[in-house]
Amino acid sequence: MKKLLVMLLALGLLVPAMAVAEDKAASPKEFVVFSDKNAKDNHYIPSGWMGDYGDIRMNDQSADNPHSGVTSIQFIYSAKKSQGQGWTGVYWQNPANNWGNKKGGFDLTGMTKLTFWARGAKGGEVIQKIMAGGIKGTYPDSVMVEMGPIELTNTWKQYTVNLVGKDLSYVNGAFGWTTTADLNPDGATFYLDDIKFEVDTQLKSEGVKQQAMPFYIYADRSSIANHFIPSGWMGDYGDIKYDGASKEDAYLGDTCIKIIYNGKAAQGARWAGIFWQNPANNWGNLDAGFDLSKTTKLTFWARGEKGGERIEEFKVGGIMGEFSDSDSATIGPVILNKEWTQYTIDLKGKDMSYIIGGFAWSTNIDNNPEGATFYLDEIKFE
Amino acid sequence: MTKLSSNKARSKKLKGKGQKIEGRGQKIVFWVFLFSVFCFLPFVLSRCQPTPGVRIQKLPNRHYQLIVNGSFYIIKGVCYNPVAIGSNHEYDWWSDKSKPWIADGKLMKEMGVNTIRLYQAHEDPEEVKQVIRDFYNLYGIRTLMGDWLGFWEYPCPFYGDDKFQSKVKNNVIAMVNLYKDEPGILGWILGNENNYSCLGYVNAWSNEDIDKEPNPQKQKSMRAKIYYSFVNDLSKEIHKIDPLHPVGLGNGELVGLEFANEFCTDVDFVACIIYRGKTFGNLFKSLRMTFDKPVLLAEFGADCYDAYLKREDQDMQAFFLQSQWNQIYENLANNKIGEGNCIGGTSFEWTDEWWKHNSDNPASWSVHDTQNGWSNGSYYFDIRAQCNKNMDEEWFGIVALSEQLENGINKRLPRKAYYVIREFWKHPVLIKTRGKKI
Repeated sequence: MKKLLVMLLALGLLVPAMAVAEDKAASPKEFVVFSDKNAKDNHYIPSGWMGDYGDIRMNDQSADNPHSGVTSIQFIYSAKKSQGQGWTGVYWQNPANNWGNKKGGFDLTGMTKLTFWARGAKGGEVIQKIMAGGIKGTYPDSVMVEMGPIELTNTWKQYTVNLVGKDLSYVNGAFGWTTTADLNPDGATFYLDDIKFEVDTQLKSEGVKQQAMPFYIYADRSSIANHFIPSGWMGDYGDIKYDGASKEDAYLGDTCIKIIYNGKAAQGARWAGIFWQNPANNWGNLDAGFDLSKTTKLTFWARGEKGGERIEEFKVGGIMGEFSDSDSATIGPVILNKEWTQYTIDLKGKDMSYIIGGFAWSTNIDNNPEGATFYLDEIKFE
Repeated sequence: MTKLSSNKARSKKLKGKGQKIEGRGQKIVFWVFLFSVFCFLPFVLSRCQPTPGVRIQKLPNRHYQLIVNGSFYIIKGVCYNPVAIGSNHEYDWWSDKSKPWIADGKLMKEMGVNTIRLYQAHEDPEEVKQVIRDFYNLYGIRTLMGDWLGFWEYPCPFYGDDKFQSKVKNNVIAMVNLYKDEPGILGWILGNENNYSCLGYVNAWSNEDIDKEPNPQKQKSMRAKIYYSFVNDLSKEIHKIDPLHPVGLGNGELVGLEFANEFCTDVDFVACIIYRGKTFGNLFKSLRMTFDKPVLLAEFGADCYDAYLKREDQDMQAFFLQSQWNQIYENLANNKIGEGNCIGGTSFEWTDEWWKHNSDNPASWSVHDTQNGWSNGSYYFDIRAQCNKNMDEEWFGIVALSEQLENGINKRLPRKAYYVIREFWKHPVLIKTRGKKI
């Protein structure tokens, strides 16, 4: 009887211990997005083609110098703007083509980073952004983290997206990249391999890091230094034409921004403007502000086509939403000269610790009844 | 024995003499004491009694406190304009026989409201005094009295014109003289969002000098200088005739306060109108940098109509208001977190106003319209509404109006925000709002 009791006691202790051990063994250290063509552990499909999808050619079994195994994925981006967007990208989804309209994805809780290997065919190719999560819809991803821009080298290099502290309970859009024709005016060929989520117990949360100055909004058309996207078109947005690669007498470098406002009140608002946002179209609904605490001013160069064009306001910050900009500052009205003139928005004493709306301008029909054409260049925080 | 007896007798004699001397000394002490009391009593009494009146106190740590009759006072207020269903802004509630403020004051007192903000006094001073007195005598609620400073005068407020200034000044001085001795008066608020007229956003005005200036930025500065200097003059005049109540500068957002810092330094506090959603952002810190005065959040709040889901949403309103009051309390004096420059708030507003969507159409004054008038992304729950217009002016009340009458007025139906703020004021436990999410 005693022996039986001892055995039962031993079993009672052993079984939970084995279960724990089994649990530990079952906790995966990594979760593969893509490793090799037809690999059993691939979990996502590169099905979410965006923007100028006609500009992309994909070879998911490129045998040209893979990082590991026998294949990598080759992308050839032509930058021809087939769909007139000026940008493109691909999301890895589960199941294929799931833009949040059906339940899919995986619970990746416990993973702390997303890693991948990449190289350019020549080196110098620019990927604008790498995304982990971020697909919306009825079944939205629980996470959205972005990294970039990245300038590729012609040899394989590993990149890491820090996911410490992020909610990975539902991930449909596991990995995505975007780039633009401005960043790659002659197109780009690049390779991706060994994309996976991993557990790294040593990794610490990144938080929001203070950006170093100068921090460019617009340096030149293809500049990797550019931040914020001129996506927030306001008021009579139909009255605006935006050219981010104008070669008409740029102030510095090859290109400047040319804006044509025709003052026809297409939407009946009688005013129009553009906000540069991070990421595109973020009206404060995404937690993605830059910490620009080190800045004391924003400077930019501007000129009017004829001189005398009146801009009601140039602005920094001021986007209000669930995630609002921490401050705002404006100058204006400004009457533009025909010659390039530098303007400054004083940011001393301002709280620039969280900025989604990096820069904005607005004007109206009352002060520009004939419309206005004007140019901007070298927009930067200093 | 005899010796002893004689000694005793001498001793008794001496004792008797001593008693006489002692008695005389005591009398002198007594009279000196009485004289002293007589001389110093008024002084002592005056030191013991609270200083009458309302004032702002700047503490050594640069924090600001509002002091009312010697005691620290947090303004826990509401903007009050009880327009009845079926009426518009011309409705004369002051002379309403049903006295809506009696029922409102009772509800306010139960909630913990200690201050109402009135935008403008009524024409009949006796009726105004009655309202102020009823609020104060019945419920202990004080009044912040405002003046529009001619902001709505047709065609625009000509602040650059001496005659216009003089007319406005006379009105303001008359108001102060009429009500300054009312015990229920807490202070004065000059203007509301009048600063926007300097930018030309609304009710734009000019004068010859401004018109001559070709640079629009300079024009803006010229207007701001004129406007803020004018308010400063008013403030100085008020202080001359009424040193017992503080004067506030009504101001939309923080726009133009860099000019106020130069030209309007004689106001005692700034009364800001702020609609920034769940937080006031960097407002308190920013004020320190631009215009270091105590701040009253004179207008803030949230509507309770979800323009996206097209239904009343009291939770949404309560969420925003609680978060806003939380930040007000964070920034009161002597709080470890916060700037210590806030003296309270008057939220917008006590009751709904059913006339606002279309003030010219009497038929719509009896309809609780849901066509939203403006867009504000800070109130993000319903920002996906058509054209992003998510703000409904007719639904800002923390008390709803019923079409059913009770004691001659629309029955009052407190919304969730009423109860949430009531509990917050009773137990103001601060929750962290510094992060991006609450």
